[in-house]
Amino acid sequence: MGSRKDNYMDYSLIFIVLFLLAFGLVMLYSTSAYEAGIQFGDSTYYFRHQLIPTLAGVIVMFVLSFLPYGWLQKIPWLAYGAALFLVVLVKSPLGWSANGANRWIRIFGISIQPAEVAKVAMIIFLASFIINNRKFIETPKGFWVVLASTVPMCLAVYGITRNLSSAVIIFGIAFLMLFVATKGYLRFFALLGFGLVAVFGIVTYVQKAGSQGNFRFGRILAWLDPEAYASGKGFQTLQSLYAIGSGGLFGKGLGESMQKLGFIPEAQNDMIFSIICEELGLFGAFSVMLMFLLLLWRMMIIALNAPDLYGAMLVVGVMGHLSIQVILNIAVVTNTIPNTGITLPFISYGGSAVLLLLAEVGIVLSVARRIVY
Amino acid sequence: MRKEQGNQQRPRVRGTRGNVAQRFTNRMSRKLLLLFALITAAFAGLMVRLVLINRNNGEEYERQVLSQQRYDSTTLPYRRGEIQDAGGTVLAYSEKVYNVILDAKGLLYSEDYLEPTLEALRKCFNFDTAQIRRYISDNPTSQYYTLAKQLTWDEISDFRDIQTVGSNTYDPNVKGIWFEENYIRRYPNGSMACDVIGFTTSDNNGLYGLEEYYNDVLSGTTGREYGYLDEDSNLERTTIPATDGNNLVTTIDGNLQSIVEKYLAKFNEDNKNAARFGNGANNVGCIIMDVHNGDVLAMASYPKFDLNDPRNPENLIGMASVDEKGNRRKGDSIFESGIYITEDMLNEMTSEELYQNYNALWRNFCISDTYEPGSVAKPFTVATGLENGCITGNEVYQCNGYLEVGGWDIKCHNVYGDGPVSVGRGIEISCNVAMMKIGQAIGNDIFAKFQSIFGFGLKTNVDLAGESRTEGLTYTAEQMGPTELATGTFGQGFNVDMIEMISAFCSLINGGYFYEPHVVKRITNSSGATVRNIEPRVLRQTISSSTSEKIVEYCNRVVAGEEGTGKKARPAGYMIGGKTGTAQTIPRGNRQYVVSFMGYAPAKDPQIAIYVVIDRLNNYQQDQAAYACRIARNILTEALPYLNIPMTEELSDQERAELEELRKEAVTPLIAEVTGEDGENAENGEGTGEEETAEAAGGGDLTAAEAEAMGTYEAKWKSFSRDPDTGFYVDPKNGNMIDPDTGAVLGGDTLPEQALVAGNGNNASGLWEPQTP
Repeated sequence: MGSRKDNYMDYSLIFIVLFLLAFGLVMLYSTSAYEAGIQFGDSTYYFRHQLIPTLAGVIVMFVLSFLPYGWLQKIPWLAYGAALFLVVLVKSPLGWSANGANRWIRIFGISIQPAEVAKVAMIIFLASFIINNRKFIETPKGFWVVLASTVPMCLAVYGITRNLSSAVIIFGIAFLMLFVATKGYLRFFALLGFGLVAVFGIVTYVQKAGSQGNFRFGRILAWLDPEAYASGKGFQTLQSLYAIGSGGLFGKGLGESMQKLGFIPEAQNDMIFSIICEELGLFGAFSVMLMFLLLLWRMMIIALNAPDLYGAMLVVGVMGHLSIQVILNIAVVTNTIPNTGITLPFISYGGSAVLLLLAEVGIVLSVARRIVY
Repeated sequence: MRKEQGNQQRPRVRGTRGNVAQRFTNRMSRKLLLLFALITAAFAGLMVRLVLINRNNGEEYERQVLSQQRYDSTTLPYRRGEIQDAGGTVLAYSEKVYNVILDAKGLLYSEDYLEPTLEALRKCFNFDTAQIRRYISDNPTSQYYTLAKQLTWDEISDFRDIQTVGSNTYDPNVKGIWFEENYIRRYPNGSMACDVIGFTTSDNNGLYGLEEYYNDVLSGTTGREYGYLDEDSNLERTTIPATDGNNLVTTIDGNLQSIVEKYLAKFNEDNKNAARFGNGANNVGCIIMDVHNGDVLAMASYPKFDLNDPRNPENLIGMASVDEKGNRRKGDSIFESGIYITEDMLNEMTSEELYQNYNALWRNFCISDTYEPGSVAKPFTVATGLENGCITGNEVYQCNGYLEVGGWDIKCHNVYGDGPVSVGRGIEISCNVAMMKIGQAIGNDIFAKFQSIFGFGLKTNVDLAGESRTEGLTYTAEQMGPTELATGTFGQGFNVDMIEMISAFCSLINGGYFYEPHVVKRITNSSGATVRNIEPRVLRQTISSSTSEKIVEYCNRVVAGEEGTGKKARPAGYMIGGKTGTAQTIPRGNRQYVVSFMGYAPAKDPQIAIYVVIDRLNNYQQDQAAYACRIARNILTEALPYLNIPMTEELSDQERAELEELRKEAVTPLIAEVTGEDGENAENGEGTGEEETAEAAGGGDLTAAEAEAMGTYEAKWKSFSRDPDTGFYVDPKNGNMIDPDTGAVLGGDTLPEQALVAGNGNNASGLWEPQTP
């Protein structure tokens, strides 16, 4: 199709991703060494367990970047179905739990978090769906159908793995892809506005009702006044704020965090950004955020220049996924929103997440390779 | 949908658009740009949020972070030092014990832990698992709950194996149980030397005796494990190990101590409930001391208590009860020696009352209680007179049974009169009149000066907690009138304690060297190396060696002499010296007495001194010094052979049988043998050193001068008929009983009622001088 054989490689994107991966591993080791030493007698436990999927992910990324992405367009229903199936498998004997959460399946000694697969599947599925139903999605009915298509997946993820944040992210990805793909602003902002009003209503209600009932209410109360719930639901958030606040401009120095010494539980997961703030200060935090912004910017450029709409929609999906997760993660860490378990891409501990994120980046690179110029 | 895009929308991308089927539309590009702008705005918003957190709460949060670090320190207990007797036998030691602590939170970390842990607890400790289970479900976040206290290593070792990686019984699912280390004090010999040793509170603080006096030495330094921030505000944790306490090696000879305690207990057994309910006496104490260095070889009193169980109310039964000030409670009549604790009284006691009486039980009679010494003070009076040249020792006084002093008739204990009394005979028969006359020759100034030289009214500084303060319990020269001087010569009117008396007495018989009495001879560290040697310390020379020799000579007559008052104190096979004492108490005329025997052995070359005091004997007639003599005799009969002091006297058949009997039950083998030559000498009654003069030899013999002066005096009371039951002489005029040994009228009162006692009369008469409330 192009005037020349496609051999474009977005090196700046690759560099940013590799930088974030390396930085993430360093921070992961710094954050987790103390607790790993206590828990497993091996301070490199988390580091080693993250290193393997990271290296595997990098290979997957390069492999995918050399493969044409067209084949993905042919398997939307398969991707959707397979992901759903994996989520359901959590309930099967293959299901595996850790830290009291049933979120994994374990095959041949490798544990996979199906929710992460579901996110990729959703991007692949929606990109095809949007391409194949250009006219339909512009109609009000089409708008709702697209949004509704996420519901089975979201319900499965939430219902089976009790993972609300992943469900929210899956819905968010669909919402953003639809926003870019279709005309008009009003309905999106109306929906957004409606959502905000609903949230406000719930918060007001919870505030009045107190902590009776649903345990998520407790999280909302803890969000509103973390110090009142310092020993319970507000503990992690409050400790995270202490970490951020005590970091100052340049932080305490790499490896010098005190909050990681048992005060922020599971800091290597959701709360790793607060340790970055504590050790590297505002400077370090802003640098990381700028790297993410650069990454998103590169993806936007790739989407804008994609050889076809399908590739562009894939990139938009990945971009939406990344942005939602980064923003929500930092929002949780800074107590801007109530605490939900959302990891920071490329940096937080989690093998499935990093592997599949790198696969997504591989798809983006594959799209980028086919840009003609 | 093919549409050529405006170049301005993708300026960064090289090249131009190709002719691709479905491309991004302008509208899509705009929306994507808007999306990116919104994302950037969100990022900016979060950055602002980060800046605000730092600006508004940075300092507060930084403080918060520092404050929640673990600076908390864990104390590592030290081991309190041992207390050993002179031969290295352990009298007190500390044993490591373990408290079993439950960490419910840790146990509930995984559901796999609960059952195996409870099972292990049941198996190893026999705990009631239902109760633990209930506690865990009620307090799931508890991290410190004591399941059991003070278990020994043997008791916990099975469980420790289960927790130890690599042992056969290791179970990784047994979690949430840990052991807190501590030490408890053990006294392997129970009640032995209880007054001397003292005991400790549960937090390792010494109470009474050596444990209190040497608390600082015995205590080590607690170790610590703690966190701190270094200069870069990094948390560091450090362990400072505990330093164990030092050990005490005492001068106490465990065997001698056992002998003493055995006979004190025997005395109590023989005399308890005799005239009244209660112990054999309100108190009975005994000290044995090495006369040449002030080492306390044995020190004991009765009633005693088990150091491992000092708060056992059984020990209080039969004891004279005390009030809230620690003073002995008085009965309705002045003749009652006290109110004795019965089981019924125990049940009615409040805990304060119980503690008052415990304190009375725990205090060391030998150093804490003061009393008027009585006639055992007479050698001191004679020594004062001789040392100052006030008397020569050749004087002979006429005793008519009383002496008028300061308008009062002060009686001799033998109201019938002793006739002519030489200085030596004055000691031998314990004549008050002779002493008073000597006292008049001495005068107030010298008498008071020498009382302080002998240490009366001064603390001896013996290394035991609770020594009484006798300052003010003696008269100064100014306070002393003729009556006070007169009564002081025979040991009434001033107060002393036992350790004071025996320390001073040692100086009378060892050539005049006053040693500071002490119980500890060496302090060693936890690895056994000597930290400090406590050498014998001569404080002063009280009298010259020639005076000392004379005193020994006189005191020998007390035991060996025909008329000696202390004949009953002589142990089989030995010759000893000493002096008896029968002291009246306040108020005068209460028929309550403190009787004592103070002696030394062997007679020729004193090595050890012994002092036995019986405070208010359980008898209708308390004024029988013979009881004290018998205790001393019993102790010495067993102790002297143990101390390898050779026998010098021929054994009678009866004595031989007695020794045989003793050999069977003795706590120590009787090793000393009678040497033939000494035995023969003794038989002749001439066991003398060459330099000794004839008058010293044979004890009872009078010097020519004395004999001449005294003429053919026969004690009047010896003509009285004897009571066949008791052996006492009976005065036909008034029916008074007269002690055949001493000639004293039983229950008689030699002192005028107005005769006062130095210091606080209450203290002196009460015999209790409470040190601790």
